[in-house]
Amino acid sequence: MQGSSQSDRPQTAVTLTGVSKQFGAVDALNDLSFEVSTGKFFVLFGPSSVGKTTTLRAIAGLEKIDAGKIEIDGQDVTEAPIRGRGVAMVFQSFALYPHLTVSQNFAYPLKEAGLPANEINQRVGETVEMLSLSHRTDNQPSTLSGGEQQRVALGRALIQRPNILLLDEPLTNLDAKLRHDMRAELKRLHRQFGMTIIYATPDELEALSMGEDIAVMKEGTVVQQGSPDDLYETPRNLYVAAKIGSPHMNLLDASISNAVDGLDTPFGELSTGRFGLSGGEDVVMGIRPSDIRLAQDSEPHVNMKVQLVEPLGDITIVSVDAAGANLRMVLSEAGALGVQPGHELPVVIPAESVHVFRKADGIAMPAGT
Amino acid sequence: MASIVGIVAVAISAFVLPVIATLWLTAAACALVAVTAVVNAWGRYTGGLLVAPAIAVLVVMNIFPLLWSLGLSFYNYRADRQTLSFVGLRNYERLITDPVVWDRLTTTALLVVLTVTVQMVVGFLLALLFSKQFPLRRYLLILVLTPMMLSYVAVGAFFRYYYDPTFGLVSQFANLFTDEPYVLISSTAGAVAAIVIADAWMWAPFVMLLVLAGLVSVPKYLYEAASVDRVPAWRRFQSITFPYVKGLLLLALLFRTIEAFKLFDVVFILTDGGQSTETIALYVYRQAIQFNKTSYSASLSYVLLFTVIVLTNLYLYLANRRAKEG
Repeated sequence: MQGSSQSDRPQTAVTLTGVSKQFGAVDALNDLSFEVSTGKFFVLFGPSSVGKTTTLRAIAGLEKIDAGKIEIDGQDVTEAPIRGRGVAMVFQSFALYPHLTVSQNFAYPLKEAGLPANEINQRVGETVEMLSLSHRTDNQPSTLSGGEQQRVALGRALIQRPNILLLDEPLTNLDAKLRHDMRAELKRLHRQFGMTIIYATPDELEALSMGEDIAVMKEGTVVQQGSPDDLYETPRNLYVAAKIGSPHMNLLDASISNAVDGLDTPFGELSTGRFGLSGGEDVVMGIRPSDIRLAQDSEPHVNMKVQLVEPLGDITIVSVDAAGANLRMVLSEAGALGVQPGHELPVVIPAESVHVFRKADGIAMPAGT
Repeated sequence: MASIVGIVAVAISAFVLPVIATLWLTAAACALVAVTAVVNAWGRYTGGLLVAPAIAVLVVMNIFPLLWSLGLSFYNYRADRQTLSFVGLRNYERLITDPVVWDRLTTTALLVVLTVTVQMVVGFLLALLFSKQFPLRRYLLILVLTPMMLSYVAVGAFFRYYYDPTFGLVSQFANLFTDEPYVLISSTAGAVAAIVIADAWMWAPFVMLLVLAGLVSVPKYLYEAASVDRVPAWRRFQSITFPYVKGLLLLALLFRTIEAFKLFDVVFILTDGGQSTETIALYVYRQAIQFNKTSYSASLSYVLLFTVIVLTNLYLYLANRRAKEG
């Protein structure tokens, strides 16, 4: 636990293999497996109640698992007590000790670890400084603002210099501005200390902006793990495609064309190749809003009617009607100038940007014929 | 108007009708006047009228006797002789210099310290036990709470049977080892123990109930955070559990001390003050009821009341200060 340098540590900080956990009749974790590389900012991403918190609690040792194996730094800790795991955790509820002041909250875990007083004082001083809580050291948690409480919770975990830091939706209880600031702050702390972070969040912006490695969870298991770019460029199935990217990917029902080497879509045929599927098969076609563009000159295009214009500052999201289906596209502020609901826009859907998912099971099809 | 008619009717009837009829008529007239007053005031003073019966009971049963006895304590008065003479502070002077009073106060203090300590410790341990989930917990909880709902007299009677020299459970158990009949109450220490056990049996559940309320209010995630922070169990208790129940413990201590200071029923039934277990409350009772020293016992009661009020305020002061400190 005491800051041995990350270089002489195993490559893999945490490994979960086939982990399952039931709460009564509910499968909280269902054959969950993933690996976290040492020193990575790892994000568990998924909507609420997919098992993110349970996963973190299982790694910390707060939850006993029914099946599978958990390894930390190469050691099997499945049955190990909480104490020896070398992890620190920040709870969504912060879990500050209400009867201790800020500096006592910081010092508490260190005192229990038996550190000498001058070392404790020094670390508390550093932590207080680092999280700009100097003016609050003698306050009790209940007198602090939400952001300050969050920083105390974070500080209490960081002060232990853990090898692995578990963060359970730590920004959920903060307002938007503070959340934004804390994202940058967390990234900075990660760079500074180089510990492995496992971060659970239902917020895709948090996941994509902070995560170096993201595991997308669904119903207690990981459906895809990869870098933010991987997840964005090549979502493995409809679930990931729909969750990652803002604004979300447009998803439309289509089918493999019998006539051309491509798709039959609500707004005509697209020469995209057949994705290894036979003609007539039902698929879901996906296209990122940012991949859709306006036609230049006499380029082939489809005319679509503008339904909604959402200006977001430097970009504008325009919803257009595509033969009954709705498509969202992203235009630059200049490009969207003068666009009004009811206008017709010449829209180009680049065939090479189209993702195709098999309708039957939602699996992404590789591009090609 | 109605009241004038009533008075006239009562005055006439006093001459015409037999005494008992006049009495009833007077009562009816009074009731009529009261009802008229209520009906007139209804609407304007609804709230006041609604609490009036409770206030009336309070005045008749509590406040009037309180003031009346305060007055009596400055007179020389015996309930068996209807003579009254003002003596000023003589009663108070007498009780302060009375060695028996000091002796009874010492006995009371000893019993208070012992019984409250036992209650607090046992109650606290029970609360720790019942804060965990285990099979049949609900039913056991009800059983444990039962003594609190019994009357003092019943508890005293139970324990008198337990302690009975010939067929009591305690002495029968002792008979397994000796042939002598075992009399717990035969020595001062035994008698004190007997009283403390009975009183603590009755009131430990009360302490448990309060502490349990504190224990279940501790958020579970604090314990989880502490276990991730590698805090050992007894330190978790000290820094998380205890601060949550501290206030309620103090409250239990306050209630139980005040009650124990007035300890009467159990002592009266178990030892009747024998083996130097006569508490101050029992002493007051004897002075007032057995020896008919009405005004003297009134002054003694006032000293007791004063003591309890001082104790209460001391506790409240401490509790407030602790609360401010957190």
